[in-house]
Amino acid sequence: MINLVGIGLLVIYFFILIAIGFYGGRIARKTREDYFMAGRGLGSIAVFMALFASNITAFTIIGHAGFAYETGYGAYGYVIGWSIFITPFTYYLVGYRSWLLGKRYGFATQPQVFGGIFKSKLVSLLFLVFLLYYTLPYLVVSIIGGGLAFTTVTEGMVPYWLSALVIIGISLVYTIPAGLRGTVWTDIFQGTLFLVVAVMLLSAVARALGGFSEITAEIVRDNPAMLQRGLSEELAPINWFSYSFINSIAVIVFPQIYTRILAARSSLNLKQVSMYYPLALAVIFGVSTLMGVWGSVAVPGLEGQEADNIVPMLIHQFLTPTWMVLGLVVVLAIVKSSIDSQLLAVSHLVTVDFLPRFKRLSSMQAVFWGRILLVIFAGIAFYVALIQPGAILSIAGFAFSGFSVMLPVMIGALYWPRANKYGATAALIVPAVMLHLWYLDVLPRWTTFGFMPVFPSFVLAILVLIVVSYLTPAPPPEQREKTFGLFERVFQ
Amino acid sequence: MTFRIRFFLVCMIVLVMFLLHNSFFLWNLDGYVPLLFGFMPFAYSYYVGYAILAVLAMKLISDLAWPDPPEEITSQFGDKESSKQ
Repeated sequence: MINLVGIGLLVIYFFILIAIGFYGGRIARKTREDYFMAGRGLGSIAVFMALFASNITAFTIIGHAGFAYETGYGAYGYVIGWSIFITPFTYYLVGYRSWLLGKRYGFATQPQVFGGIFKSKLVSLLFLVFLLYYTLPYLVVSIIGGGLAFTTVTEGMVPYWLSALVIIGISLVYTIPAGLRGTVWTDIFQGTLFLVVAVMLLSAVARALGGFSEITAEIVRDNPAMLQRGLSEELAPINWFSYSFINSIAVIVFPQIYTRILAARSSLNLKQVSMYYPLALAVIFGVSTLMGVWGSVAVPGLEGQEADNIVPMLIHQFLTPTWMVLGLVVVLAIVKSSIDSQLLAVSHLVTVDFLPRFKRLSSMQAVFWGRILLVIFAGIAFYVALIQPGAILSIAGFAFSGFSVMLPVMIGALYWPRANKYGATAALIVPAVMLHLWYLDVLPRWTTFGFMPVFPSFVLAILVLIVVSYLTPAPPPEQREKTFGLFERVFQ
Repeated sequence: MTFRIRFFLVCMIVLVMFLLHNSFFLWNLDGYVPLLFGFMPFAYSYYVGYAILAVLAMKLISDLAWPDPPEEITSQFGDKESSKQ
């Protein structure tokens, strides 16, 4: 049960978040550029923590630890191994070129960047639709995960609906007044908090279980299969290979990540972020992997979704109630830092890429509408998180794959002058349709040749982009010059 | 060295990192050397090492093919309020 110290820690945590929002709101200029992009002045630490905290979701502590509980140490490489390198690499591959275009032409979102490169309103609209389509269910799932975790950790003292309400409510309190600046400042606070406290928790659990070497020896003795990747069916090489195309390369396509990259002050900031990003990913997933595997010998016998609660269970069974609250703070920090960025990203997209199709908005009107939309999206997400409709949850189940198959168009637009709007349009639509046909079991699974559907869809996106672009007229030289003329002057 | 060659080297680094991640032939070591230095599970410590290698790879990529924008470009970075958004 939560004690007074615990309640005090929670109050301090919430107070700091609200204070950051209040202060951020006071110093923010009421302009679109300042509200949604923090004036494109984010330094290295701000960009780093903004990307990292937005990237890490409840899955890290809840789902991943549960997966490690079932599959062993191999879960570490399977889920995050390739991401450790390729996610920061995409910040270079896609992020830097997009940042250059953003700085030069004022682009702030993917619909603007890629609609601008291809000079196509349709490409811009497709990016907008797909990004909203995949981000909103993902947002709902984040709220559900956070709400369940909050309820589990408080042992049902806080009901699920109230947990979800608190998580969204506090996020809104600092996001509405301060926009991107508020979420980035809270990301710095929450990201640091969850990294430090997660390591402290791991060390406390290790001590309680007899020490790192002792637990490992126990695993070798009682459950040696946890050490061997080859023994796990789920980690079969074909799944391992396919998974390389899901979470790792999807990250740069998330609108909340992409926009934060465009908000960096300089090229140096992005370089520093890319260089140190692997360590942060390795640490946080390393902690949850160890917790999950240790849990398999400390609290054996959990099955299915029960295993997802292994971290709260370990804390509950082996540590004091104050640690329980610290664990809760970690979960809240992780969940809220991703939810606020997703909420801001969808309201940003609609404000700058959808509303202007009907009415020209001044800078101040855009800020006003951005705030209104934040509340609307938060309300919708809260309601959907309560009723949990199956259709939304099944879309969320392949949202990462949906993001991933958009990447070939983004890379093609930035690296291949011959890519045109027809190729981009087809390469956005065709793989998305195929992904749905596979995931909704309309097409038999053998048609993916044993791979997860994301892999053939990804390959299809590349092929469609190339073939359709070659079969249709090349972009006019003046259009190519706008993008590739700039790149030629930078990349010499 | 032209940018094209430097970018080719970057692609090679990516390929090596991809192969190191999908190095299924090394999985046998999980059984032969279950604990590295007597206490670190091989399947786990492999990715601790991989993370350090990833930092070095990103440093190399950054030195090879990540030029800062020249002055003539940065001077064109201006106020975007009146621009695209």
